[in-house]
Amino acid sequence: MRKFRFRSILVLVAALSLVAAACGGDDEPTEPAGGATGGTTGTGACADADTAAGDLLAQICSDGVIRVSTDPAYPPQSSLNPETGEYEGFDIDVATEIANRLGATIEWETPKWEAIIAGNWQGRWDMSVGSMTVTAERAEVLDFTPAYYFTPASIAVSEGSEISSADGLDGMTVGVCSGCTYDFFLQGSLDIPGFEFPPPPAGITVKGYDTDTTAFQALESGQVDAVMSATPTIQAAIDKGRPMQLLGEPLFSEPLSVAFDKSSEVDQASLVEAVSGIVEEMHGDGTLSDMSMEWYGEDITIDPSTG
Amino acid sequence: MTSVGNGQAVVRVENLYKRFGDLEVLKGIDMEVDKGEVVVIFGRSGSGKSTLLRCVNFLEDPTSGMIEVAGVRLEGGHRTKGKREQVRQLRIKAGMVFQSFNLFPNMTVIGNVTEGPITVKGIPEGDARSIGMDLLAKVGLSDKADEHPIRLSGGQQQRVAIARALAMEPEVMLFDEPTSALDPELIGEVLAVMKSLATDLHMTMMVVTHEMGFAREVANRMMFFNEGVILEQGTPDEMINHTKYPETKKFFEAVL
Amino acid sequence: MATPEVGAGETRPPAQRPQGRMEGISQASARIPFKLKVAVVWIVIFLVLAFLFNAADFDTQFMRDRADFVLKGLTYTILIALASIVLAVVLALLGALGRLSRNPVAYGVSGFYASFFRGTPLIVQLFLITFALPVIVGNLGLPQSFEELLTLDPFVAGIVGLGLNYGAYMTEIFRAGIQSVSHGQTEAADALGMTYPQKMKRVVLPQAFRVIIPPTGNEFIAMMKDTALVGFLGVVVAQAEIFRRAQLVAAADFKPIEAYLLAAGMYWALTAVFTFFQSRLERRISKGYVRGGTTTAKEKKAQFMSASAAGGAGGGAGMAEIDTEEDVSGPELKGQGH
Repeated sequence: MRKFRFRSILVLVAALSLVAAACGGDDEPTEPAGGATGGTTGTGACADADTAAGDLLAQICSDGVIRVSTDPAYPPQSSLNPETGEYEGFDIDVATEIANRLGATIEWETPKWEAIIAGNWQGRWDMSVGSMTVTAERAEVLDFTPAYYFTPASIAVSEGSEISSADGLDGMTVGVCSGCTYDFFLQGSLDIPGFEFPPPPAGITVKGYDTDTTAFQALESGQVDAVMSATPTIQAAIDKGRPMQLLGEPLFSEPLSVAFDKSSEVDQASLVEAVSGIVEEMHGDGTLSDMSMEWYGEDITIDPSTG
Repeated sequence: MTSVGNGQAVVRVENLYKRFGDLEVLKGIDMEVDKGEVVVIFGRSGSGKSTLLRCVNFLEDPTSGMIEVAGVRLEGGHRTKGKREQVRQLRIKAGMVFQSFNLFPNMTVIGNVTEGPITVKGIPEGDARSIGMDLLAKVGLSDKADEHPIRLSGGQQQRVAIARALAMEPEVMLFDEPTSALDPELIGEVLAVMKSLATDLHMTMMVVTHEMGFAREVANRMMFFNEGVILEQGTPDEMINHTKYPETKKFFEAVL
Repeated sequence: MATPEVGAGETRPPAQRPQGRMEGISQASARIPFKLKVAVVWIVIFLVLAFLFNAADFDTQFMRDRADFVLKGLTYTILIALASIVLAVVLALLGALGRLSRNPVAYGVSGFYASFFRGTPLIVQLFLITFALPVIVGNLGLPQSFEELLTLDPFVAGIVGLGLNYGAYMTEIFRAGIQSVSHGQTEAADALGMTYPQKMKRVVLPQAFRVIIPPTGNEFIAMMKDTALVGFLGVVVAQAEIFRRAQLVAAADFKPIEAYLLAAGMYWALTAVFTFFQSRLERRISKGYVRGGTTTAKEKKAQFMSASAAGGAGGGAGMAEIDTEEDVSGPELKGQGH
């Protein structure tokens, strides 16, 4: 009967959809790119961890999986390689190494940046390795490790622009990614515990965009006169052929840390401690410096304030 | 109250009132239909005759009054949930044939006929089908069993509608102007089926129609409706030849 | 063509000559079929766009390189749309029955649902479902498992959000469709002694679906484009549909314009294909059902009402079907968004 055929098609479609929604495919990069899962000797932090403790570290260690957030919209920190389908970048490598040293494999989540810095992750992921600046406001909702690197921040203008110094920006518009520290800096409200900042350039109008990439596009289209972003990000864009040029020296450096959700239902104090320890380790044995050289061409893991 | 006189009333209507808003369409109707009786109801449009029929199976909810069909007795004017099931039981005992046929276009002819028995009465499909084919044979449409109604003529569709109602084995058949929407040349085949219902099956029937020829031949009683009341009733001979009221006479003059 | 008499000494009004030529042109072009002329118009438009495209100097090599990767999202675009439309159909049916009900609870709830999900932007709804829902549930002090259940994966949240949103709009389509079934049908079903569920299932809904299917098809086409919004919820690559993949590709190489142009082209092609099948479906449904293959005036009105009730979005990409002898479907309401 025609009716039965129609109904069974509907049911079939519904079933297929639910199955697909539940599964969600298997080309998700769960293996750390270039990571050596075979290389973990099982003597990572998890080996010493008390898996009966019932806290987040224990959960991660018993599952053998840590969920890490990354927003692959920020090369060279994090972006998707369309050819390999894998995430790649400095943050990706750092996170992978941290996971290895913990003794767990990574499961990537890709929420938007705004969701990551807002805290209240609803238990959707455990850790953020996303070049996040430690600001006072963020410290209210997130726990941070010591900084794993320090990124300089620069202003860039169009290639061949006549503006040659920060003073030349008086009366101009500057594009930034909304909610990034550069946004706060330009508006004079950046508050990083333990760091001092020069004042922002005078007389500028700030325009926010959803990512740096969009801000760079705005610069190219002439909607803004300059952009501000992390120096390595600007450099990466220039290297990929975007018609931009750096305006003078970096204005400041900011400490970037691994973050955890304060509002996590499961206690994470031991996890934060373990990862902080790993970060210190990676500073000490030069791992971070090597990665920095690979991705940025210079070692920016040293705290500029201490030299 | 004239009747066939066998004393077995299949339909009883007591003090039936029906109001639509401000308009009172039925003003205190009392009537009975005995088993095997054929009652033809006629009158001008708006006189209330169709409304009476539709109140009998509660397609219209009476404002007040009592309806009884084959022993199921219900008072009009109440709409409580409990009554819905009783209304349903009543409707199962009364088969209805509509002016616009109302066959289900999404089913075949045989599908239409077997729908009631299968879905409402829970009769297994095989049994229902043989009942249905029998009925289609009776109305002369066995060869159309697997067609869709849309491909049938009006007269054929109405005959299927009659078969569909009969499939429920009702105690009374209600006909609401069954031939008014038909082309003249198709009226005859439907009336023929209706006649055979009376003569062969001795079916109790309430027929709202203007087909006076049919009434003369088949009706036991004719009932003239005027402005919400039964003005006159009697045998066909009485009504047609010896009417008492001028309104009735005027109506006949217009129709015959 | 009569030329007015011109008296001696008066000059012939100059407007007459161009008129003559125009008439000649329109007479000659009347022989060329309308469809062919429309095709020419489209070709010209494409040529102009191609020219502008080239002048803008976009990185077409980049687009060609990334096309494969972005196209992989097609599976998920369709998957999300299918799952969402199924959810939407269920909600629309319930909503329509609620709107037609005399039960104050059913009527009130369905009215509220329709009002909220039609009255707020889809993207806002998606964000609320993804981010606000878990917080609200958490604050209510419900058990942990409840909160976990309602902390939806962005992919699932997207489907739920799209389903809820479209279900609200499609409530009107379904309601109009159900009401388009003639009253006589319900009376005949009642007279047989059918219960309400039996009546709906056996008689009313099967007939209503004839009227409901064409505008629902249009909704599906619109929904395929709205799946792009799911990309803003932070879906992982494994479940990324076309737009999300375009986002990622744009970020990786700092080429947002090329990436989004690529995505736009894909959506356009997708819509065109589905619109083509939609038109054929509409014609088939009408033909097989109605005598002689033409829709009655009442059915046309019902189709029109159910399509306009929905806002008839989506079927905008295909060429208009101007085959007037065969044009049995209701008027195509193209381009009306929500």
